[in-house]
Formats: sequence, C-alpha cells, structure tokens
Amino acid sequence: MDDKELFAAYRATGDIALRNEIAEKYLYIAAVIAKKFTGRGVEYDDLYQVASLALLKGIDRFDPEKGILFSTFITPTIAGEIKNYFRDRSRLVHLPRKVAELRAELKKASEAIAAETGRKPTAAEIAERLGVPEEDVVRAAEAGSVVSLDRPVREDGLSYHDVLPAAEDPFEEVDNRDAVLSALKTLSQEERALVGFRYGQALSQVETAKRMGVSQMYVSRLERKILEKLKEQFKRGLV
Amino acid sequence: MKERLTMELPLGSEIMTTVRLATGSMASLMRLDLDRSEDCKVCVTESLLLITHAGFSRARVTYYEDGGLFVRIEGEGERGAACAVPEDEISAALLGALAENVEIIREGMFSVSFAFKA
Repeated sequence: MDDKELFAAYRATGDIALRNEIAEKYLYIAAVIAKKFTGRGVEYDDLYQVASLALLKGIDRFDPEKGILFSTFITPTIAGEIKNYFRDRSRLVHLPRKVAELRAELKKASEAIAAETGRKPTAAEIAERLGVPEEDVVRAAEAGSVVSLDRPVREDGLSYHDVLPAAEDPFEEVDNRDAVLSALKTLSQEERALVGFRYGQALSQVETAKRMGVSQMYVSRLERKILEKLKEQFKRGLV
Repeated sequence: MKERLTMELPLGSEIMTTVRLATGSMASLMRLDLDRSEDCKVCVTESLLLITHAGFSRARVTYYEDGGLFVRIEGEGERGAACAVPEDEISAALLGALAENVEIIREGMFSVSFAFKA
C-alpha cells in the first residue's frame, strides 16, 4: 500500500496495526526534529519520546485528502509539542546551573588535556573529551566573564551588589521545601521512586525506566500523571 | 529596518558553531528570550542546509533590527548542482513552525528570510 492508501485504510478502520506501520515509516522525522532541539537542557531521549507521541497524535489527525505531504503536516505538530514540553519543564530546567556545572568540568578537562599534551587545549578538544557540543564549551567559557559586584552600575552610585536580588530567599526556600515534602507524601511508593530518579538524580526517562524495570513509555505516562496530580494539589491548596 | 551584521561564509559543518553563536548574540541584542534565541539558531541552521542542498558553497547571512530580529540568508557565488534530500521538506516546515514571515525564494537566486518579533 502507498501512503495515501495506508492513511485511508487507517482512517476507515482505525486498525492500530496500520497506525503502527505508518508510525514506523515516519519515526525518522521524530528523530530528526528531536535532534534539532537538543542542547536546551533536555536530553535527546526525552525529546525523542515527546516527538514520537506527537507523531502518533498527528497520524490520527492527518487527512490525506487535503493534498499536503505528511512530513509537511507533521513537522509543525512535533515542533509544537516539543516547545510545549520545554514550556512545561521551564521551571525545572536550570540553565545557569547547567552552565556553571559545565564550566567546572571544562576547567578540569582543560587541565587534564594540558597535562597530557603540554599545551592549552582547543574548544573542540574539550568538547570531545566531555562529550558535549563545541558550541556549549564556547558558551560556557564566555559565561565566565567576571564583573565586580562593587562596580557602580547606576548614576546614584549603587553597585551590582545593591541592585541584584538575593539568589535565594531563605524563608521562601523553607516554605517551598515544606510544600514539596508534603506533596511527596501524597504519592505512592512507585511515584516517589520516579520523582527521585527524574528530579533528584536528574536521570533521563530511559535511565529511569531501566532502574525501575519498566518501559520508557510507562515512565513518561506516570511522570505526566504525577505532575498533573501535584499541579492539581497545589492549585487546590492541599499542600 | 536597520542592518546590524552581515557575514559571508563558506558553507561547511565546521562554520556552523560560529554562525550559531553569532545568531545567539544577535538574538540577545534584540531582546529575544532564550527559547526564541534557540529557535532562531535552528532556523539559521536549516536555512544554510537548504542553501547547501540547492548547490551553493557560500552564503551571506544578514541580521536586521526590525521590531525584533529579521534574518536574510542568501546563496552566494556560482550555483552548482542541486542535491535536494527528503529532509529539505522538514527544514522548510520547521522554519514555518518556528519563525514568522518566512519566505523561501528558489528561482534564480536562493534566499531564505524570516523574522522573530521581540
């Protein structure tokens, strides 16, 4: 069957086997697009998972009679889902911390390579050693420019030290910690384990699935369910 | 529309990091948030891929300030044999999904332009 016949048959019968056949054929698009969104603080495996689910949703919605290619139709759908995922996770992704961590690793790798070769390493060498894109190394190095906190930044003589907000409000931190601990108590043992792997140890969904002995799909669904549950509890002021 | 930066470059994977970093800097200068800055980098990369597959070995990238960031990318020099790949369709659709006012001109010259409003 060609594409048009496949989609027509799936729309007529709703046969999951046909949907899976279409999905397998176009899974490469999910992979290609997921790759284009890496480097933003979310692992490729997770992006691929989101993109694959978007592909499945898109197959259900695609109407071949409208005369556009499936790849043209599905690309914005997948990109949109990935961007939604970034938005949902934005509170959990701490870019500055990521850069700070990379800077620390960068320094170590730089010293190690220098000791081995007797010269300063290039960004490409450090990137290869750390297994990160060269662009991240350059950005992390750039982020290291030091500015004195006492330097005046305003005409009235106030310095960065005076105008920058405190990094953490200790009272708010205690408040947040209490709320999180209370919320975690409402979760099952399995749900708490998932939160521990995903947000305590910052493991990918694939790694979490391996540790829990379940599929990545199961982790994805359970995680979504937990986040919805917690969101609802916070909204209703239960924690 | 005020021109802020123009770069002429050979098209090769080794120059992509430079272009992406310059794009990030321009996006920051135009006050785009981090997500849109990353989207803009994706669009520039996809445009350069399209131009490469259209048979060009050099490109000119121009960044304009226009209530945000407006980018025009053109193939430069002689146009060789095109080697379009199926992923070009994905590149074009991705540009449409991420940026505004996307225009791809394929006749004679080859150029891609798009905008990110601040």
